[in-house]
Amino acid sequence: MTELTPDQVRALAAAAGLPLDGADLAEVTHRLNAFVDVLGGLAALDLTGAEPAPTSPPALSRDPALDPR
Amino acid sequence: MTTELAYRSAAELAGLIRARTVSPVEVVQAYLARIDRWSEALGAYVTVCRERALDEARAAEQALGHGAPVGPLHGVPFAVKDQFDTAGVRTTSGSRLHADRVPAADATVVARLRAAGGILLGKLNLTEFALGGTLSYPFGQPRNPWDQTRETGGSSSGSGIAAAAALAAATLGEDTGGSVRSPASWCGAVGLRPTWGLVPRSGCVPVAWSMDAPGPLTRSVEDAALLLSIIAGPDGRDRWAQAAPGDLRADLERGAGGLAIGVVTRLVDSPDTDAEVRAAVRAAAETLRGLGARVEDVDLPLLPLAGAVFMALADGEAAAWHHRTLATRGAEYDAGTRRRLVTAALLPATLGQQAARARAAIRAQVEDALGRFDVLLAPTGPTAAPTIAGAQAPITSPAAAGRRFFNRRSYTTPASLAGVPALSLPCGFTAGGLPIGLQLIGRRLDEATLLRTARAYERATDWRACRPPLPE
Repeated sequence: MTELTPDQVRALAAAAGLPLDGADLAEVTHRLNAFVDVLGGLAALDLTGAEPAPTSPPALSRDPALDPR
Repeated sequence: MTTELAYRSAAELAGLIRARTVSPVEVVQAYLARIDRWSEALGAYVTVCRERALDEARAAEQALGHGAPVGPLHGVPFAVKDQFDTAGVRTTSGSRLHADRVPAADATVVARLRAAGGILLGKLNLTEFALGGTLSYPFGQPRNPWDQTRETGGSSSGSGIAAAAALAAATLGEDTGGSVRSPASWCGAVGLRPTWGLVPRSGCVPVAWSMDAPGPLTRSVEDAALLLSIIAGPDGRDRWAQAAPGDLRADLERGAGGLAIGVVTRLVDSPDTDAEVRAAVRAAAETLRGLGARVEDVDLPLLPLAGAVFMALADGEAAAWHHRTLATRGAEYDAGTRRRLVTAALLPATLGQQAARARAAIRAQVEDALGRFDVLLAPTGPTAAPTIAGAQAPITSPAAAGRRFFNRRSYTTPASLAGVPALSLPCGFTAGGLPIGLQLIGRRLDEATLLRTARAYERATDWRACRPPLPE
């Protein structure tokens, strides 16, 4: 994904119904592009089997063999 | 005398009160005197419940006189982050938007501390809505008690200040991505993020549902164990709440002998980690080895991504919670908060899903390491407390945004993303006199081993006795 320009970010914000101008616009653009830089790199990782669940299945949360208590 | 009493641990105070060596009124007055002297300068409290605390202290004293059964915190004054609802006491979440919000009921954690006999001293300052990056604090700029030009860490800023500067016997914070551990580290206190779900979030204004974890900030490991034992366990309202662990003080003194401890090299040896922090954390690992632990290096290669992954996910959850208010009353938010929430709201969904998958991969690395080690050891952050001016400087490039927001969070967010418990405790000072935090990360629902390790280290060192330079 390529870096976003301030005009593109302003248009996104308008479509989302969010206020954005002046210093906010400049900083939000930098912040969004920081995410694009780092998270864009995730595509190169092997995430096979990595399902986007917020927690582990309960059965994996404590292995009695590893933790006998 | 007031200072010496105030610096007692909550467990010590509870014992002294039960033995009628000191009265609850005397203890509350000691803290009120320190709050009068230091709270405004340090930006610690949003609201002080002065008369109510004194009334409750008198009632606690009478109950002792009557020989009534008392709880484990009987007469002990505590304070909570102003993110937790308190019946009849305003709960601002550190925001002008909630400046006049007065809940009808206590959050579960507050109710439990009060049921244990604790006396609510007041509500503690925080970054707006418990999101980091506040630029203008409506209830006062939090200042580090070790150097008032320095950051306290957040979001539980006031909780860190009050614990370190003895403005309460013990405090509660809430940790989403490090909001308990970071202020503990920078202010020189003990901060415990419990297993996600162990402590009910009912009555806690949410940041990110999938990671929010209320936890104690205290001056001792024993107090962290005491408070967590009181606040943990299902309440019938939080569907994710896990079974209570019982009295976590039971195993505290078992020592570190026989424990397997993994030193997280990816954080300890990161180029982002200051040399003084690295040396202090390596020294702590050697201390634990000297206490009989098996200490080995362990590599978790994905951890440097954790900060960005966390912010993509947690901020997205926060943006969803705030979206309507942000659209209609955006100008009333602090500029730093507003920019953070708008950024998250505009993040492409595909990147969010990639972050969610990366979270699973990071969690798997953490869980795999915890299959081989009882506890993982790392710095709580790459540096000691930075200056307030530096932390609030304008962001002028994507690289600067990454350095400001992602790098530091990569130290505390692996535990948050994995849902496992983690604790920060002091492990030394920089040459400039700022505290350094040691982070211990444990297995899910195994706070007992985490606390036991921390207590062994605390007992073997003198850091706990150090106090910030605050004259009488």
